[in-house]
Amino acid sequence: MSDRLYEILFIADSNLGEPDVDALAAQVQGYVEKEGGRVQKVEKWGKKRLAYLVRRQREAYYVLVVAEAQPTVVKEIERRLRVTDGVLRFITVRVDEELRKAERRRTRRLAQEEKRRERMSDRASSSYEGEGVSP
Amino acid sequence: MGSGSGRGAFRAGAGGQRQGQKESGKRYFFRRRKVCKFCADKIDYVDYKDVKLLSAFVPERGKVLPRRMFGTCAEHQRKLTVAIKRARNIALLPFAAE
Repeated sequence: MSDRLYEILFIADSNLGEPDVDALAAQVQGYVEKEGGRVQKVEKWGKKRLAYLVRRQREAYYVLVVAEAQPTVVKEIERRLRVTDGVLRFITVRVDEELRKAERRRTRRLAQEEKRRERMSDRASSSYEGEGVSP
Repeated sequence: MGSGSGRGAFRAGAGGQRQGQKESGKRYFFRRRKVCKFCADKIDYVDYKDVKLLSAFVPERGKVLPRRMFGTCAEHQRKLTVAIKRARNIALLPFAAE
């Protein structure tokens, strides 16, 4: 079974310092790599206002980790995040399927547009003398 | 496809009231129901992290607006709903704002 692509987004207590938050992110990264996964990117959004109070806080550090890994690895990461006090919320999303479908749709659409353009230019060159229909 | 087509007689241009006392008295403009924004911009993946995009479909009180408000197509409305709900769970969007 090949690795799947996941997005893991979590928010950390605003009372923590930056280095603590970095450490959390590093732990997630480290675990992924240790288990044979590959971290694609890590985005630190810094402190952001929360849409509602979470544990009586109005803002928190947002961290996003995008990685390729096995589902068991992700499961374990989730378990750990849940246990960690500093982590207020997290969400893991599997993105490989969606992206694949989006890519397919895009290529299909481009192919259709190409065909349409060819059809038009064919029609133009066969029936008209001058410029055909503009694409 | 869909609910809006062919019933222009009832949904007059100004989006006036339909009969029935249940109406809240507000008037909505149902125009632009021909084009789905996502289809027009050719967006295939509705990202839950894109607060700016999502918040265009969510009013002050945080509710998910029905698709007739923006003419969103069914497929994209479903994706939009999923994205909004995810965003809510991670506190990027509110559940219900006062």
